[in-house]
Amino acid sequence: MRAASPGHDGASQHMGHFSWPIDGGIIGLYLLATMIAGIGVRRYVGKVEHFLVAGREMNLYLGIASLAATEFGIVTCMYTAQNGFEKGFSGATPGLLNAAAMFLVGITGFCVKPLRDSGVMTIPELFDKRFGKNVRWLAGVVIVLGGLLNMGVFLRTGGEFLVLVCGFSSDYIRNTHYLEITMTVLLLSVMLYTVLGGMLSVLVTDFLQFIVMSVGLIAVTILVLVNVGWSRMMTAVEAHYGEGGFNPFANEDMGVPYVLFNLLITFAAVLTWQTTIQRVLAAKDTKTGRQVYTRTSFFFVCRFLIPALWGIGALAVLTPEQYGGNTLYAMPIFLGTFVPIGLMGVLIAAMLAADMSTDSSYMLTWGGIIYNDILAPFRKRVHSDKQGILWNRCIVACIGIFLMIWGLWYKLEGDLWTYLGVTGTIYLSSMSVLLIACCYWKRANDWGAYGAIICGAAVPVLFLVLEIAWGKPALVDLFGKHVAYWSGISAYAIAALAMIAGSLLKPQQGRA
Amino acid sequence: MGTHWFWLVMTAACVIWYSTITIYVALRGAVDIKEMLARLGRNGEDAGAE
Repeated sequence: MRAASPGHDGASQHMGHFSWPIDGGIIGLYLLATMIAGIGVRRYVGKVEHFLVAGREMNLYLGIASLAATEFGIVTCMYTAQNGFEKGFSGATPGLLNAAAMFLVGITGFCVKPLRDSGVMTIPELFDKRFGKNVRWLAGVVIVLGGLLNMGVFLRTGGEFLVLVCGFSSDYIRNTHYLEITMTVLLLSVMLYTVLGGMLSVLVTDFLQFIVMSVGLIAVTILVLVNVGWSRMMTAVEAHYGEGGFNPFANEDMGVPYVLFNLLITFAAVLTWQTTIQRVLAAKDTKTGRQVYTRTSFFFVCRFLIPALWGIGALAVLTPEQYGGNTLYAMPIFLGTFVPIGLMGVLIAAMLAADMSTDSSYMLTWGGIIYNDILAPFRKRVHSDKQGILWNRCIVACIGIFLMIWGLWYKLEGDLWTYLGVTGTIYLSSMSVLLIACCYWKRANDWGAYGAIICGAAVPVLFLVLEIAWGKPALVDLFGKHVAYWSGISAYAIAALAMIAGSLLKPQQGRA
Repeated sequence: MGTHWFWLVMTAACVIWYSTITIYVALRGAVDIKEMLARLGRNGEDAGAE
């Protein structure tokens, strides 16, 4: 064991508290249990419906565990901790908005009730009934594009956390290939049980992963609060950000655009994010699906606030030299300095659990869209269940391979949460508009749907292209420092306007 | 000062709620898995019999 010493150059020195016999043993035990559980349920997969939505046999508490585990990955931990480090407690604002949106949607059944009642397996399948096959296909393409771009950063970011928290330096990440090898092995393990057992394996492993993840998150949070101290954390936030560290409206970098953008993202994600909505679709009935939402809602406060506390702990303790100027690395470097042997194993197992549950669900749900909505029009005859399951397994494997290639070489520039928000907006903006219109606006039609999909995707794609072509500083100079938030907000507004305009412009059938 | 108290309450609520729900969901979720697999097993047997 090598203990950290204050003032060390943390970005370049080894300072981990990782013991191979103890921590490695805990991690090995967790991985073994996960693989046994994940592979063990494959014999229950007899139909495509079993593979994609667990035969719609999911009960309430399994749904809560699965949703919570899926929606918390290492990448979540990294960006929310970065939010805490860079914005103080205000960085946890998206969690409050997300919880409120989830509770409201669950309690009212807004959109999710008609969606689950319709008996579809994916959202585009619902659009087929209202807007036609072409809209279903296009919606599938946009959902997969946004989802996979979003997921593209998961693997590398997760690997960086594991390397740094074990006490290896950021130079180590650049100069060796251990990160790539570790994450490839991890992804192959996830692929193995997801390919074999589909949603059933995902649910069972999610349950195990929820327990391991939660124990690790709670234990480390208590350790941070005890070791760093509440008053020291408050003082650090006050010193760095003043009132803006506690109130997003008082923070110059956040303000109304940040809150509004996050309100739209979280509301749209609750309605249409495929991994979230899959729990409603896999629930045994509509009431259970809605209860999964209401009873998991407060988890979304924890999802943002707990890692934000870790980030604030890093802000209070580390010097800029220790995290090498990279705020994304601050939290894992901070944890690497004081989490003791034994708990380090629990922490890493918890983070692996978080990452594996997210990866498996994401691969399965995007794979389900590709099979059910994108490839369906090209099938000349209906697949037997055996053929359907084989196709789904091949698609999940292909997504895994894509992630290995894209996820390990893509280098993220700037704030991780904003990247995820912007790429997610490619589909969240249009799909949320389409879903609301599909469920509640009789006049909505395919013209409006095409307009919303194209316009909703065009704005965030344009932003990403301009950011790569001109660089973020040039965009900030031209449009102001809230350019990313305004581009996101405008995507939702333009998608809604396009839906209204397109639907009203199309001549109604039966009228002269 | 008001917002400072708010975040203290939210932090305490997160730790308490999350600890409680983890234990509760761990117990009830295990029963859910058992029931789900039993139903799927029965459905599989029925389909095989047909």
